[in-house]
Amino acid sequence: MSNVPAGGQAVSVEGLWKIFNEGASNEVTALSDVSLTIIAGEFISLIGPSGCGKSTLLRVIGDLTDASRGVVEVAGVSPHEARVQQLYGIAFQQAALFDWRTVVKNVELPLELLGWDKKRRAARALELLEMVQLADFANHRPWELSGGMQQRVAIARSLAVDPPLLLMDEPFGALDEMTRERMQNELLRIRLETGKTIVFVTHSIPEAVYLSDRVVVMSARPGRITGIVDINLGERNEDTRETDAFYSGVTEVREALRGRSAGGNHTRIGEV
Amino acid sequence: MKTTRLRRITISSLWALAGVALVLIMWELVKFIGSLIELPLKTDDTSMPHVWSMVSAFGNPEVRGSDTSVLEAVLSAAAYSLLIAFGGFIIGVSVGLLLAIIMQRFYFFERGLLPFVIASQTVPLIALAPLIVGLGNRVSFGPVSWTTTYSVMFIAAYLAFFPLSVGALRGLQAPRPTSLELMRSYAATPKQVLWKLRFPSSIPYLVPALKVSIAAAVVGTVVAEISTGVKGGIGRLIIEYARETTSQPAKVYVAVFGAILLGLVATALVTALDMYLTRNLPKEGKA
Amino acid sequence: MTKRLSLSLIWPPVLIAALFLGAWQLLVIANDIQPYLLPAPSLIAENFTSDVSLMWAAAYYTGTTAFLGLVFGTIAALIMSLLAQRLIVVNRLITPLAAGLATVPIIALTPILNNMFNITSRTPRVLVTMIIVLFPMFVNVTRGLLQVQPVQLELMRSLNAKPRMTLRVLRIPNAIPFFFTGLKIAAPLAVIAALVAEYFGGPQEGLGSRIAGAAANTAYGRAWAYVVASIITGLIFYLIVVALEKWTTPWTGRSRST
Repeated sequence: MSNVPAGGQAVSVEGLWKIFNEGASNEVTALSDVSLTIIAGEFISLIGPSGCGKSTLLRVIGDLTDASRGVVEVAGVSPHEARVQQLYGIAFQQAALFDWRTVVKNVELPLELLGWDKKRRAARALELLEMVQLADFANHRPWELSGGMQQRVAIARSLAVDPPLLLMDEPFGALDEMTRERMQNELLRIRLETGKTIVFVTHSIPEAVYLSDRVVVMSARPGRITGIVDINLGERNEDTRETDAFYSGVTEVREALRGRSAGGNHTRIGEV
Repeated sequence: MKTTRLRRITISSLWALAGVALVLIMWELVKFIGSLIELPLKTDDTSMPHVWSMVSAFGNPEVRGSDTSVLEAVLSAAAYSLLIAFGGFIIGVSVGLLLAIIMQRFYFFERGLLPFVIASQTVPLIALAPLIVGLGNRVSFGPVSWTTTYSVMFIAAYLAFFPLSVGALRGLQAPRPTSLELMRSYAATPKQVLWKLRFPSSIPYLVPALKVSIAAAVVGTVVAEISTGVKGGIGRLIIEYARETTSQPAKVYVAVFGAILLGLVATALVTALDMYLTRNLPKEGKA
Repeated sequence: MTKRLSLSLIWPPVLIAALFLGAWQLLVIANDIQPYLLPAPSLIAENFTSDVSLMWAAAYYTGTTAFLGLVFGTIAALIMSLLAQRLIVVNRLITPLAAGLATVPIIALTPILNNMFNITSRTPRVLVTMIIVLFPMFVNVTRGLLQVQPVQLELMRSLNAKPRMTLRVLRIPNAIPFFFTGLKIAAPLAVIAALVAEYFGGPQEGLGSRIAGAAANTAYGRAWAYVVASIITGLIFYLIVVALEKWTTPWTGRSRST
């Protein structure tokens, strides 16, 4: 964990269970006894097959859904309190921009809800658009932008209130491979500039390895953590993706995924 | 997920009944308030009869001394109108489908006709009703002489045809380019593409269009009957009963009830058709 | 959307219209068809231009009824939709009722309203128009308020937005295109309702009364001219709505951002 900057606990998850439709015939255990500690300034990826609960875990941390059992703390307070205090920003796979607002007004949205005055929030939004290199598009409409640009607007919006924690749910999942790699570099640059703690859900192994300090590997039915892979790539640059360290990280994550998920499948077949 | 469509329809029907009950309660409430203070509308028993007098009016004889009740007269008139509306609906749907196929097949016709089809939905074509009904009994096609009933059906068909042709055209154009390329790779004939691909893909568009069409046919029938006084149907009955409000204020409500029933039966028929046509479609995929 | 209307878009409808009118005119002249059956386009045009002030007066009367009904019906629908998005009971009560009423000839309520209100006034006509406008507006606006992308709702939740804030910032803007969809259905309906309501008696100034009156007097050319005036009135209502939509919601008609 050499890449982990010194810091306190950003997120702590203790014995977390999430069961949908509990007690009903269509009960689903999305998360089973999940425990995880994320240190401030860390970049954590959650990876696993669909149905492993990686998005659900992110949603519990963000108080977008409730925990069934277990204790979750974000910056020392409950997820609900963290949401009320706006201690995190979030970006989804869909940019979720409002078509009726210009780009800059979309970035202003969180500040508007907090009651910032017009001038101050416009200044802040422009500053963020500069950071994601979209200042020239401030007065465009979202649908005039490409998918990658829309996603950069969404990231700028998630940074608007300058929260210590960023939650990202497959934000680059709908982008083509080239755009995706560019966006990954951009995200790392933003991270370096802002020092945010980032929890990043993905289903791409190279993406997880390239971005993260630690990759949390999950498996499905029931959703649980089956391994955590430390990544030590140092500072990333254009050649990082071709280094042996990168390849061995990819291999390690793949092994972790395969080993456990095969077992998981096996158990399931046994049950049926 | 477990709820079947039939059950969902039953549940929403029960809610609709509750809604109707609410309307009736409000009706009585307005009457009651009207008896206490001056309202801008007439709330006396002639203008707004009690709900129970409407119900009892169902059983009254249609005319003094007659042994058919008002309800029977209304039901038979509604059935007559439904028959005309349905005839118009069938004709309108057939013509609309044919036109949609032609427009889909020949780009020139789409470009040339579609603006009129769309514009016609925005203009009060029903204004033509008194003129078309005026044709009654003055024209004959060989041995068949044109009666006013045909005129009413013609109007119903005319109104039903436009929404359907637009919906059907949109549906026939719905297949994705990849599906069309797939058919092309099979060297399918245009007829095969129509039957195997375009018709099945048009169903999610066709069903809402059918619903609009049946509504148009029903409303068209009633309005055509009203605007010309063609005998036999519910439209004429409403006008006749409305004239008797001073002597029998509740009577016209039975006729209005008949018109509502007519609409609901028509909806039920199209809903049944909808359930049949969309039985193989995913529930969410339905438009 | 292309800014300039290309020629290939304009000439087919113009050609078809010209062919249609020409064939109609020829058919009438060649077969000596009597006006009660089908007046020639030239006769209709003649009646229209010679009585243009009468046409205008009738269209103005019916148009005013339609406009008032449209405005009141829309306001009532907006209030009901706001209630329905907040209170599930209201939604459950009204939505199936609104769906069922789609096939019901609501216009049949006119004689009842004529009894309840002063038949010699415009009121019953405005009211029946209002009721007819109410339902498509309610159905569409409610849909717009409720059919918000789940991810956008999640975003609002992550931003700790209160329901009222979500309504203002997300639901209402989201409903605007739906509002116009409803209005594009309701505006022509309002003209039709206002016109047909005139067939039930009452003042004889409007288009509906004039059409029926001219037909009864065997002045078929004039009756058809009033029909043309009705069509123009309906078209004007529709085009005003389309213009309003273009003006207020520049973001619709584009592919939605994902």
